[in-house]
Amino acid sequence: MLGCAAHAVLVVASAAILPQSSAAKTEPARVVTDETGRRVAIPADVKRVVSLAPNLTETIYALGLEERLAGDTDYCDTPPAAKLKPHVGGAQNPSLEAIVALHPDLVLATTSINRIETVDGLAKVGVAVYTTDPQTVRGMLESTERIAGLMGAEARGAALVAKLQARLDALAARLADVPQVHALFVVWEDPLITIGQNTFIADALRWAGAESVILSQQKWPRVSFEEVVRLQPDYIVFASNHAGFGAEELGALRSREAWKQLRAVELGHIAVITEEINRPSPGLVDAIEQLAREVHPDAFLKKENGKVEMENGSPVRVGAIEEFDTRAGLRPAPTAKFDDAYLGAAL
Amino acid sequence: MKPLTPRRIFGVCGLLLAVLFVVVVISLRMGAYPISISEIVMTLFRGVAGQREQIPSEFWLVVFGLRLPRIALGILVGAALSTAGAGFQALLRNPLADPYVLGVSSGAALGAIVSLVIAPHVPGLIQIAAFAGAATTITAVYFLGRRGGQLDSPTLLLAGIVSASFLSAIIMFLMTTLSGRDLRGMAFWLMGDLSSPAAIDLRWLYFILLVVLGSIYTTSSDLNLILTGEQEARHLGVNVKRVKLVVYIGASVLTGLAVSVSGAIGYVGLLVPHVMRMMFGTDYRLLIPASALGGAIAIVIADTLARTVVAPTELPVGAMTALAGAPVFIYLMRRKVR
Repeated sequence: MLGCAAHAVLVVASAAILPQSSAAKTEPARVVTDETGRRVAIPADVKRVVSLAPNLTETIYALGLEERLAGDTDYCDTPPAAKLKPHVGGAQNPSLEAIVALHPDLVLATTSINRIETVDGLAKVGVAVYTTDPQTVRGMLESTERIAGLMGAEARGAALVAKLQARLDALAARLADVPQVHALFVVWEDPLITIGQNTFIADALRWAGAESVILSQQKWPRVSFEEVVRLQPDYIVFASNHAGFGAEELGALRSREAWKQLRAVELGHIAVITEEINRPSPGLVDAIEQLAREVHPDAFLKKENGKVEMENGSPVRVGAIEEFDTRAGLRPAPTAKFDDAYLGAAL
Repeated sequence: MKPLTPRRIFGVCGLLLAVLFVVVVISLRMGAYPISISEIVMTLFRGVAGQREQIPSEFWLVVFGLRLPRIALGILVGAALSTAGAGFQALLRNPLADPYVLGVSSGAALGAIVSLVIAPHVPGLIQIAAFAGAATTITAVYFLGRRGGQLDSPTLLLAGIVSASFLSAIIMFLMTTLSGRDLRGMAFWLMGDLSSPAAIDLRWLYFILLVVLGSIYTTSSDLNLILTGEQEARHLGVNVKRVKLVVYIGASVLTGLAVSVSGAIGYVGLLVPHVMRMMFGTDYRLLIPASALGGAIAIVIADTLARTVVAPTELPVGAMTALAGAPVFIYLMRRKVR
């Protein structure tokens, strides 16, 4: 019975205290809707930013705004200087109070690695969290521009994105007449996990003139090796890890019975590209260019650069390009995808 | 054994309450953000006195915004799980019974996941679904665990273990249909995690907890008699059917409640009632409140460790309870053998 009294005391205590604690500490200058449809009050002057994902950290560095990066995660290793920033824990289970202790004006999260619970928890104590949700290369560019905008560096954002877009356009022009190769992108070897059609990696592959052989609606489908042997991809694409995907690993792979059955392995059509391919950040464009050189070496031999079109058959789908607008309510209503991302929210 | 007087009940509960208070203050002190005990006490004092302006805003945010709600959630979950464990142990007259072992936690988890897959945005539905899952599972396990019309301990436990693994298989199947982001949340949730704030107002959850604790408590004298044997209890005028129903539903509600806000946290429901029994005797009039408080203490300690051992990264609290719980369980088991 006294146990009950204990709970009663706590209930009263939390009842009296909790509702007030969610008040924001600074006057919000503007309310924006983030890429998951959540409304976020962003302070007028964003001086301190905490990044909860490696790709966001990279984006901030690429924008040259790293001085305002107050903290990042244990996984943020690119560029190497990012490792020296105060860490708030892993991307999936950071310490909320470690984030709060850094007094951030803005916390950046992304759907591809962070948990909705982290975002909810921070929002509940009045920390501004902006979540990006890049699903395509174009989406990555838009996110980059939005992040720049949130930090009051629109011009830098526009300049960076224009530069990246120009590189992509040049690549698309170069590959305009080249047929796409069929590639198997290996996320994980054993068990074999590859990419689905709707991932930004699949989109990056398309920009590089390669189509994933596995057509799956799942994001990271696990496929049987038999299926790969049946499909016989032109190229096998790996992302190098930081230890370096060296000759040893490749040699070991080639000597495996199963992999030997692949024509691509026999022909040495194995592309090992920078790990940037796994991160929707500006470095993704480097990875795309690298992959294009690997799978279309001939296109880079010919120096002819005849016609340059604006949208030269690039794989941007209709609807992928949206007006960049941070004002609330102007973005389209949340779609099924957004609902999906919020499945975990009720937990 | 000393006779159980109201004075003793109040004394023991007061002692546990004091321990809980100390643990809460220590837990409030620990974390990635450095705050001293005196600052904590001052913040608490000013917070209760309503002098919020005098508290530095970060202290306020960390103490009242982050740590206290999490501790309050932990107390709720710990009290619910170990009371449910004590209830199941009496009903099934089996010391190994607990929500986790009997598959009730898995049933609640499955209910919660199904509700998320079908209708993700209905508030409160997940709690109801978790309860439905818990109640269905305990009913099924109860019938599967009977042998020749009698509840048979080994059969019952096997039924619980088989049900748990079957339900886990369904959960894994459903998880493959979830997108990456939900999958990550679910993975933490299945391990038992207090880091995410409850979607429902804590006050509601505490209200349900108190009502259910109260109703289970009303059966405590009868539970003492049932423990000596159902026949004997019936002869002594106990309405065994009613008592069983109250405790079954109550324990299932508590399990569903705990699982729906924190996921599946193991060992607390199993071990805390045992430890309380060893310390304070087997009388359910004392055991129920003592288990509730003991469970609260255990979870707050476990979650404080989960937050701090690899700080700033956080561990799921379920990993901590299993890490500490399994050795304690083995120790208790070996001690009984000797």
